[in-house]
Amino acid sequence: MQTKPNPGFFKRNPPIAGESEAIEQAKSGDAEAFSKLYALHKRRVYTLCLRMLGNVSEAEDMTQEAFLHLFRKIGSFRGESAFSTWLHRLTVNLVLMHLRKKGLQLVSLEETINPSEEDAPRRDFGSRDTMLAGSVDRVALERAVASLPPGYRMVFVLHDVEGFEHNEIAAMLECSTGNSKSQLHKARLKLRELLRNPQNLPPLKGLSEPVGQKGVGR
Amino acid sequence: MKDIATANLDNMTPAQFEEYLPELFEAGGGKISENPRFRNFFKANPNCAALVSDLETIAEQAKSLFEPTHEPSDSVWSNIASKLQDGAGKEDRDS
Repeated sequence: MQTKPNPGFFKRNPPIAGESEAIEQAKSGDAEAFSKLYALHKRRVYTLCLRMLGNVSEAEDMTQEAFLHLFRKIGSFRGESAFSTWLHRLTVNLVLMHLRKKGLQLVSLEETINPSEEDAPRRDFGSRDTMLAGSVDRVALERAVASLPPGYRMVFVLHDVEGFEHNEIAAMLECSTGNSKSQLHKARLKLRELLRNPQNLPPLKGLSEPVGQKGVGR
Repeated sequence: MKDIATANLDNMTPAQFEEYLPELFEAGGGKISENPRFRNFFKANPNCAALVSDLETIAEQAKSLFEPTHEPSDSVWSNIASKLQDGAGKEDRDS
């Protein structure tokens, strides 16, 4: 039996037409329903993997793993959160596990406390004429995020893009909430620095331009 | 993390103000740039006002990245479908 969902969970993940039926059918092993769930969520899961990993091949592998894992675990989805929130959490955990297996320290203490001069945001309050003028081009922001140091990028994507809370991020990354907040702040400072000179941003390494955004803002 | 509720804004330097920013952004309650408590401080420190405004813009624009922009190649689904046909995950589902 499904638990009554908390409407607060659906702020950024409104239910998709036909999704709940597909979920129930997929729980019974209906391959067609699973195919529908893949079609509904593949882009979002893949984009999340790509942002976290910065590598097309690994992102596709992890997308595949996420959906195979979904197939195995869908019976445990009780509707206590939006399905996409649940699926994203599952995906994030798989990607983090993958990174840990590769031996990557996700939120590097070194990076947090003593970032390299090149990577750390400068303590610079700037001047009014170089501020971002209240708007940021989406493609430029995507490029800037991709060029963040991994620890900063991970927390920024999880918090500001995916909408996870600091306590959730801290649990996922096995760090303190203070560390998560600090990483996020430094990530935003670094982005500001990068976005002040968008012409210097490197192209998305190994990535094509986003779907429907061949160099043009969307 | 420091608590700005007890801080004296009158003689705060920009560097000191920045130390409060991570918590200020987390505190919610609307935009920092529009908080009347900081009006005089921002007037006296326009660079801090610019910094806060920029960080607010970045955080706001980040939400637009939530919408997916990339698509996996068709081979991803082919691999998934093939593994499902081979019974991948059946053990977990049956247990």
